[in-house]
Amino acid sequence: MDNVHPHDVGTVLDQEGVAVRTGHHCAQPVMDRFEIAATTRASLAFYNTRREVDTLIAGIRKVQEFFS
Amino acid sequence: MSDLNDLYQETIIDHSRRPRNKGVIEQATHSADGHNPLCGDRVRVQLKIENGCIMGIGFQGTGCAISTASASLMTETIKGKTPKEVETAFGKFHDLLTEDQPPAPDLGKLAVFSGVREYPMRVKCATLAWHTLRAALRGDGKAVSTE
Repeated sequence: MDNVHPHDVGTVLDQEGVAVRTGHHCAQPVMDRFEIAATTRASLAFYNTRREVDTLIAGIRKVQEFFS
Repeated sequence: MSDLNDLYQETIIDHSRRPRNKGVIEQATHSADGHNPLCGDRVRVQLKIENGCIMGIGFQGTGCAISTASASLMTETIKGKTPKEVETAFGKFHDLLTEDQPPAPDLGKLAVFSGVREYPMRVKCATLAWHTLRAALRGDGKAVSTE
């Protein structure tokens, strides 16, 4: 997402009840290598439901609206 | 959980989109780098001090809306002030972010950060530029880290 920092993405998603990881993910060397300050990571697993994915997507739309 | 608009007040969104005093200061007399390893945020604060007052200030770097807006509002707040006045302002600002009490009446625009108190993870975003400014004033050339 252009122009929105991962920590801001994370805060908005958190309010929507979606937990994501933001920042360096303890992987500074690779982040430096690709010149990325921070990323947002949604870690999906087999137990996540379609509804949870829909909630995530709705949350991402909210981030876009809030910071656009 | 409090409302998002309490955290991201209009002034914060405005300053994060259009940061003031962002750029290089020519002939800076003081400079320091700050780093928040948790976020990956980096900031450089440069100062031009004349006759004991901060006559020029600029910052560079990348960060979240809170840290960018904080750096921007900080530069507006401290222009023309003495290092001692900066310390006083920082103390009041820090209390605003961490203490459960009404904000100091003379905080001015900095009061828009009152919502950050509800988000302890974000306090370091709001203080990174200030810690870097204080390091620049100390002038020991050491980079500051929030960790």
